[in-house]
Amino acid sequence: MAQVSAGELPKLAVLFERHHRALFRYFVSLNRDRELSEDLVQDVFFRILRYRASYDPAKAFTAWMYAIARRANLDRARDRRAEVIGIESVVERRGEPASAAPGPEERAVKVQNLGLLERALDLLPADKREILVLSRFQEMKYEEIAAVLNCEVGAVKVRVFRAVRALEQIYFALEKEKAS
Amino acid sequence: MTCEEMESRMAEYWSLTLSQEEEVAVEAHLAGCEACRVEAQRLGSLWRDLARLPAQEPGAGVRERFYGTLAAYRDGAAAARLERPSPARSQLARVWQIAAGVALALAGAGAGYSLRSSQKANAEIAQLRGEVGNMRQLVALSLLEQQSASERLRGVSWAYRVEPSDTEVLSALLKAVNHDPNVNVRLAAVDALRPFAASRSTRDAVMQSLPGQTAPIVQVALIDLLVDLKETEAAPELQRVALDNATDVEVRQRAQWALEKLQ
Repeated sequence: MAQVSAGELPKLAVLFERHHRALFRYFVSLNRDRELSEDLVQDVFFRILRYRASYDPAKAFTAWMYAIARRANLDRARDRRAEVIGIESVVERRGEPASAAPGPEERAVKVQNLGLLERALDLLPADKREILVLSRFQEMKYEEIAAVLNCEVGAVKVRVFRAVRALEQIYFALEKEKAS
Repeated sequence: MTCEEMESRMAEYWSLTLSQEEEVAVEAHLAGCEACRVEAQRLGSLWRDLARLPAQEPGAGVRERFYGTLAAYRDGAAAARLERPSPARSQLARVWQIAAGVALALAGAGAGYSLRSSQKANAEIAQLRGEVGNMRQLVALSLLEQQSASERLRGVSWAYRVEPSDTEVLSALLKAVNHDPNVNVRLAAVDALRPFAASRSTRDAVMQSLPGQTAPIVQVALIDLLVDLKETEAAPELQRVALDNATDVEVRQRAQWALEKLQ
């Protein structure tokens, strides 16, 4: 990226080849919309071109790129005003208090149904979904995620844990619904 | 370590990225706290399953749009740069900058529009061509390094767009011919060698590649290439292939046919 920043525009092709799939997955995970996600990938590389002079070579490129990606997504979302279903509403909709969920032994069974897990991820509030995508799918370091989300590293670690916990509650709510 | 402190350790515990000291502390807490132990096991299983979710791939159009945008941006930027040095023409430079922006927006929308100027000196055009050639080389080389076979195939097709004198792309193609695990990539790379065949080293490399190939279809393609190039120096190697009992019978027949053609 340092070379792109210095005016070596063709080098951007290398960055594109390296990162565009992961970026696409990030956007699809957030929006569940392939077409929109492809547009957002273009947005990100367009912004990298435009703002290349503002890149600081001393900092991690991935964090800088995801900060741009995040802003691009927020800009699009502002127009769409997508409605996000929170975990409370999922549990509430099924008329089941959290305490009525299966006991620890039942829950310890390995997740078999990846389709159900994917649905649960869709129902997770956007901020929790995002932090899981960054930490699990993009395999970013917590320091990098902290730079992207503009928060403390310790906060990132706790938020990842709480997102997994919330995901599990939704997953089992869905599984219970399916079984009944 | 308290139950609350565990919250900031669990993700790293699942990912095996805790320091040894911290891991010992977490294990000690888990050994004495059933609630945390059960939850760590449950959520850890979910954490592992997340990695099994299939990744969605973007469509091929994403790549085309990106390279269209990049090319238009470069053309636009080059045009703007040419006009910028003269303060008297700052108004014109602004027009170019706007034009560059328009070109970029159109390319981004998939219109494939590219900005050209009829007023540029030959030297500038030559420089621009050189830069575009450089970009093509980078695209071909980076695609040829990709993990997915379809990406490497795209890299091979980009190799047609570079200058035949490009030795870096040539050696990447030869590497693909000799070592790519996918037969389709090897086959496509053999075909892509044709524009480079004027050089002696390419012809030698094609001849050397023949005995090492395992797929008969690639061997036949190499033999055909040698015939097309009228490479008479390949006769001894073709003779050897034609007589080698361990070689596929169709390949041997093709080698025999090639020997007759080259006489």
